[in-house]
Amino acid sequence: MAASFLSYLPASQMSHEKKSTLLTLMILTIAAILSFLIRLFSVLRFESVIHEFDPYFNYRTTRFLVDNGYYDFHNWFDDRAWYPLGRIIGGTIYPGLMITSTILYNLLHSLNITIDIRNVCVFLAPLFSSLTSIVTYHLTKELWSTGAGLVAASLIAIVPGYISRSVAGSYDNEGIAIFCMLLTYTLWIKAVKRGSVAWATACAVAYFYMVSSWGGYVFLINLIPMHVFALIVTGRFNVKVYVSYCTVYCLGTVMSMQIPFVGFQPIQSSEHMAAFGVFGLCQIVGFYQYAASKLSKEELNLLSRFVISATVVVSLVVAMALQLSGKIAPWTGRFYSLLDPSYAKNNIPIIASVSEHQPTAWSSFYFDLQLLVFMFPVGLYHCFANLTTENIFIILYGVTSIYFAGVMVRLMLVLAPVMCILASIGLNKTMTSFMKNLESTNKETPQPKKRADNSYSVKNEVAMAVVAMITLFLTTYVFHCTWVTSEAYSSPSIVLAARGGSDGSRMIFDDFREAYYWMRQNTEEDAKIMSWWDYGYQITAMANRTILVDNNTWNNTHISRVGQAMSSTEDKAYEIMQELDVDYVLVIFGGMVGYSSDDINKFLWMVRIGGSTDRGTHIHEKDYYTPSGEFRVDREGSPTLLNCLMYKLCYYKFGNVYTDANKPMGYDRVRNVEIGNKDFELDVLEEAYTTQHWLVRIYKVKPMSNRGI
Amino acid sequence: MARLFILLVISLVLTCISTSWTLSQTKPTLILLETLAQKESHSQFFKILVDEGFQLVYKVADDSTLTLVKYGEFLYDNVVLFAPNVEEFGGNVSPVGIVEFIDAGGNLIVAASSSITDAIRELGSDCGVEFDEDGTSVIDHLHYDASDSGKHTTIVVEPEQLIAAPLIVATRSPILYNGVAMTADSSNSLLLPVVKGSPTSYSYNPTSKIEEYPMALGTETLLVAALQARNNARVTFSGSLDMFSDAFFETSVSRSGLEPVPSGNRQFSRDIARWTFKEVGLLRVSAVSHNRIGETSPPTAYTIGEEVRFSITIEEFISGSWTPFLASDVQMEFVRIDPFVRAFLEPTANGTLEVVFVLPDVYGVFQFRVDYNRLGYTRLQSRTQVSVRPLQHTQYERFIPSAFPYYASAASMMLGLFLFALVFLSHQDSAKSKKD
Repeated sequence: MAASFLSYLPASQMSHEKKSTLLTLMILTIAAILSFLIRLFSVLRFESVIHEFDPYFNYRTTRFLVDNGYYDFHNWFDDRAWYPLGRIIGGTIYPGLMITSTILYNLLHSLNITIDIRNVCVFLAPLFSSLTSIVTYHLTKELWSTGAGLVAASLIAIVPGYISRSVAGSYDNEGIAIFCMLLTYTLWIKAVKRGSVAWATACAVAYFYMVSSWGGYVFLINLIPMHVFALIVTGRFNVKVYVSYCTVYCLGTVMSMQIPFVGFQPIQSSEHMAAFGVFGLCQIVGFYQYAASKLSKEELNLLSRFVISATVVVSLVVAMALQLSGKIAPWTGRFYSLLDPSYAKNNIPIIASVSEHQPTAWSSFYFDLQLLVFMFPVGLYHCFANLTTENIFIILYGVTSIYFAGVMVRLMLVLAPVMCILASIGLNKTMTSFMKNLESTNKETPQPKKRADNSYSVKNEVAMAVVAMITLFLTTYVFHCTWVTSEAYSSPSIVLAARGGSDGSRMIFDDFREAYYWMRQNTEEDAKIMSWWDYGYQITAMANRTILVDNNTWNNTHISRVGQAMSSTEDKAYEIMQELDVDYVLVIFGGMVGYSSDDINKFLWMVRIGGSTDRGTHIHEKDYYTPSGEFRVDREGSPTLLNCLMYKLCYYKFGNVYTDANKPMGYDRVRNVEIGNKDFELDVLEEAYTTQHWLVRIYKVKPMSNRGI
Repeated sequence: MARLFILLVISLVLTCISTSWTLSQTKPTLILLETLAQKESHSQFFKILVDEGFQLVYKVADDSTLTLVKYGEFLYDNVVLFAPNVEEFGGNVSPVGIVEFIDAGGNLIVAASSSITDAIRELGSDCGVEFDEDGTSVIDHLHYDASDSGKHTTIVVEPEQLIAAPLIVATRSPILYNGVAMTADSSNSLLLPVVKGSPTSYSYNPTSKIEEYPMALGTETLLVAALQARNNARVTFSGSLDMFSDAFFETSVSRSGLEPVPSGNRQFSRDIARWTFKEVGLLRVSAVSHNRIGETSPPTAYTIGEEVRFSITIEEFISGSWTPFLASDVQMEFVRIDPFVRAFLEPTANGTLEVVFVLPDVYGVFQFRVDYNRLGYTRLQSRTQVSVRPLQHTQYERFIPSAFPYYASAASMMLGLFLFALVFLSHQDSAKSKKD
């Protein structure tokens, strides 16, 4: 089709090479544009604002960076978050995202394109996905062929697993990190293939960019050494690999240490030790290879025995000493939960409480990748069948990331690109082998080939069937991706849309913004808001008020204190709120409209996290269950639950409203029960504001009683 | 002309505002009586109030035109409630309304007697004071006055039963008391026992036989109690209306076996009235300032380890004017959940209290807190929030002496590499030429 289209062009007399270049360029351009456009659903349907909750923090910091310049940003101490501890923002974030947007913003402004910083932020992720599809083309081209590269670029442009994190309005680190990651891989492959210091340096710079933008760089700094190690084991280690790895590791480590948040981790933490170990191994293997070329066999054996035993002993002793003296930081919880999926559940409630850190369901693999799930093994097979230095890399990348994606939902993002690459290799290989068998009407087809494949009689028909089938699959892939993007990944979280009402029309719940706007307008400038940490970033960014805990869950004790307040009785909670100078308490309540991710459903995590520190030893999770071990808010529910602060704040006056026809008053539409404790008054708090659909409820903490009683 | 007119209007408005403001400064004192005859029987107490400069308005407690609020503002600063037998207040006044008056900052003296109604008891319990039942009296068979009728209900209060707070009660003469007992709600930390019962006193109906355990016994019996609310409104409850009467003011106290002495009731009533109506013991914070040493204005944020000067101006209301209060026991706390620094403030020559201290090596949002709670004085609380930030990247030491070996090693490494490169390149050249 593309060929027939080309023939209409005036340049139809171009040489084959020029034609293919033009075709490549066109396909790439279309893929890049497509990947940008498919991410615009949410902006077109709603408005050009940041749509998710967490990115509001990134947006706020970006604005700060644009307004105050880099040095103020670097030294920014935020006294609006984590009251009264404060947070050193400059030293606790990956600044890559903000710096990228600021550079884009300043660049556009220097060209007199006066775009708002908000729009830069909103459209940054789609822009980087376009770049990703181009980088994917280059990576696949290095690994396999131009054709596979083009397929990969097209696949990644619309793969839902990646779109889920990069739609317009989701301004998160991952949006640019995937681009950085693939860029680093591309440059790494180029460096290894050529043994060039220049490419390796470029790779180190790309790695630096990756480190500056996402904590997931740890995956990268383990994957590349793993690749080198695999090359050593398979006997493919050579000077090219040595030059590339030494350059990348040294430069990359030094540069990554320039990010304040990373600091000395690359030489101290266990996650980075594999890279260091492989670096050492490279030296030994390099030396061994050099010695082998100079020495006789006996000498070499003696030398190698000595060197190996000495290295093992020394490195073991040193590692033990460092580990014992605490110089090498133990692995962080997130990393443990990667290796052992049940680790977090048993040990660190705060990690387990995040839904993104839950293991992936099988269905979501199909949902996010569709066709790729089936073509991935095909690509993997072809890579094994045709093992090269660079193919080993993509095999390792594919295998490790499919494991990680199985452990944590959010790592689906890392898996999606390699799925595209391997699937494109599979598709490319299948198509090229069957396309040859098609009886060509094209006169240019060389004669000898036809003769060679004369093995079976219906090859033309089989080839036709296969090609048609794959075309059909690819078509359904496009439809699936578009549908998933439109239905699942383009609905913003700050505005909820639901089909409902008597006529089934679209209903919009804009309660979050309503509440935050109310707060911005009606509370004192330095009011302190207590809420569960999920809402911290939004409150600081949208309501511009001080909050106690936020999504940067760096201080478990402080979050635990808030959890304790929420799960205690009013009196106990009042003491905690006095201690922390709380002025307002905010809860998210979905029982009125049936919004299921509300605070009551998160409540058990508050109990667990609240009870996980010293001061919360009086909080026991089992007190919040019925004797039969259920979590219920109806009449059967445990009295501790029915009298704790969170229950009271969510259900205050809820017992007097009808939510559903044919149901009693106080019928919770999320839990589908009639609540157990309806008639109660609040002693130490008073209702300050409840939004239209009761999604957000804000309470004011009363001052201490004036007359002492 | 128009401009002149506008100016005139503005100045008129301003005059109105200022007059209304001065008026609001001197709101009258409401005296609620049972009968207007009390105006005579307690005339000396009212004269004390007038002499102190209060403007008195007399009303009967069940007057149907009675109101405390007009247009959302309270009409009075102080209320004296000398109506223990009022069943129901007149007009729109109720115990709840009086409690609101207290919560709005109004001061109140309540005097009860052995015959007491639920309205007064309700008011008391809203402030944490429990009156004994109607008809009961404080009885003391050992400390009664010679004028007593034989029931031993006119009792003599010895000076050691008074609260040891000169600001509230300065008098040290015996006082006559005849009335109902009170007990304090033990959970209410704001109540002050101004006059306690003697160890031998108890509360019961003097005419009936004792069959139950008395509600109040010994020193837990309260004769006069005071409440300084958190908004610094002052409320005084007295179980005896008679102790403010002319009769008790003028009589002398004659205890058995002792010389008669003039009663201290006049002096006591004066002290109590002056304290309750905020003539004494009134403090305020008029200014708080803090800055780095060597600067004059506060920075947007302090940095850890800086030397900071904190000063606070506290003023006391003495005979009609605010004068600097220079106590040496005022403390400042620098708090982030817990206090990190606690220091005494030093009085200075210009009437402020001041302290200079070094900020702790902890960053966060801190508060300068001055909490000054002394018996008889206004509850003083000052909170000033500041941020303390960590060092900026330019504020760290550039070169650390202990790191010099590392600097040397880095420099020698660079030098070594350079030399090696030179040697290596030239060596290769010579080898090549040899080969050639």
